[in-house]
Amino acid sequence: MSAPSGSLASLSEQLADAVAQSAGSVVAVHARPRLASSGVHWRDGVVVTTEATVKRLDGITVTLPDGARVEAALIGRDSGTDLALLRIPAGSMPVARLGDPSTLRPGHLVLALARLGDDGPRVAFGAVSATGGPWRSWKGGEIDRRLQSDVTLYPGFGGGPLVDVDGRVHGVNSGGLSRPFATTVTAATVDRIAGELLERGYIARGWLGIAMHPVRFNPGARERLGLGRDGGLVVLSVEPDAPAGRAGVLVGDVVTAIDGQPVESPEQVVDLLGGGAVGRVLALDLVRGGARARADVTVGERPRRAG
Amino acid sequence: MITAFAAEAADRVRGGVVHLRMGDACGGAGLVWPGGVVVTNAHVATARRVTLRLPDGSFVEGETVWRDPARDLAVVAAPGLARLPPVEPGDAGRVRPGSLVFAIGHPWGVRDAVSVGVFHRVGPIAPGMGVPDSIRRQAWVQAAVRLAPGNSGGPIADAEGRVIGVSAMIVGGLALAVPALEVEGLRR
Repeated sequence: MSAPSGSLASLSEQLADAVAQSAGSVVAVHARPRLASSGVHWRDGVVVTTEATVKRLDGITVTLPDGARVEAALIGRDSGTDLALLRIPAGSMPVARLGDPSTLRPGHLVLALARLGDDGPRVAFGAVSATGGPWRSWKGGEIDRRLQSDVTLYPGFGGGPLVDVDGRVHGVNSGGLSRPFATTVTAATVDRIAGELLERGYIARGWLGIAMHPVRFNPGARERLGLGRDGGLVVLSVEPDAPAGRAGVLVGDVVTAIDGQPVESPEQVVDLLGGGAVGRVLALDLVRGGARARADVTVGERPRRAG
Repeated sequence: MITAFAAEAADRVRGGVVHLRMGDACGGAGLVWPGGVVVTNAHVATARRVTLRLPDGSFVEGETVWRDPARDLAVVAAPGLARLPPVEPGDAGRVRPGSLVFAIGHPWGVRDAVSVGVFHRVGPIAPGMGVPDSIRRQAWVQAAVRLAPGNSGGPIADAEGRVIGVSAMIVGGLALAVPALEVEGLRR
């Protein structure tokens, strides 16, 4: 056997070792008709899976790596990060051995693991294609790091872990957030969502209760009002019995800054309304009727839709 | 540093891969099997007369001497095959999940293209993939390797260049191949 082929065989062995090490914490989740999806045993007795594949609330079962099928209870779900949390009997299997996603660079080899039934793990293989800082999913969830790979997420691979060549788990693969590259919800975000869902069963989102649209002041008005920038957000509607309305915000007000930071797009406001914002007081600088005004709004919790 | 990646192992297998053509379609691949015949899919060798392009670029006329559409296997005989290096059949049951495997074929007519992926398992196809039970329950080499029309009949090989399966179909994006040991069983 010549050297290049020998090193290929040893790389192949290392990949299979990584699968053997990490597959013990990967389960099959039966929460939709026909094909199963995958899940990761994240904490003892707690399985993380992909929210989009949880199609029923009762009668969910999980196939463990030893082939045993156990009942699972839905703890909570968050469509923003495409994560759902299931409770299984504690002590069933080892928990995932986590890696540090910030050590992964584009080009690093990675594996996506899955389990579809009682017949052993499934694997796909590829390279990290992009990494980066915090981002917001198209479904509105805040994710602490960007981690995308060219791994093919075959049917049933959603909810399974992204694993490095040492078998460490860097996050949970999301089919729902993946277009076109495979997107991994990174470990710190999975931890945060798991903690919140365990604590209260849902993910709190900040809420002001107003609809806004960008507007521009003409140079004269901007100078007369002493504004630093010419953009703002005009309030189009104020919901009754909502935080902004209670603080005296009126339709037609223009929000020019929040906590001293100029705001010119609604996305900037959404960024201020993550789960940690509930209960915080935001100082809104307003222009009302040609004069400057101010409203202190206590961020509320977005009402949850029924179901 | 692995610079050649799968190139060396692929070179060893490629000498035993032929291109089968039936009329104007992109055709499929075939494997020179120990014993000097070509093994391919039944859905590739659909006629009695087959044109084979050998690895050295020459063309020979072959004849389909055996077909089993249920297992999607066929055997083609042609002059000169005994001169070619046969593939080395391997046991997919000894390959661990996550091991590197590669396919060689002629996807969309691109001759001798290599695609790399990892081995899943050998066994029945998981339920819920929309495959009829009669096909689903057979043993298949299953691997996360990208295949396309033209890969049919070509090899799925391990990192050492042993052919563990004959590529037959794509289900849910996965490569499914007839285990090489089943082909070996037919010889006996």
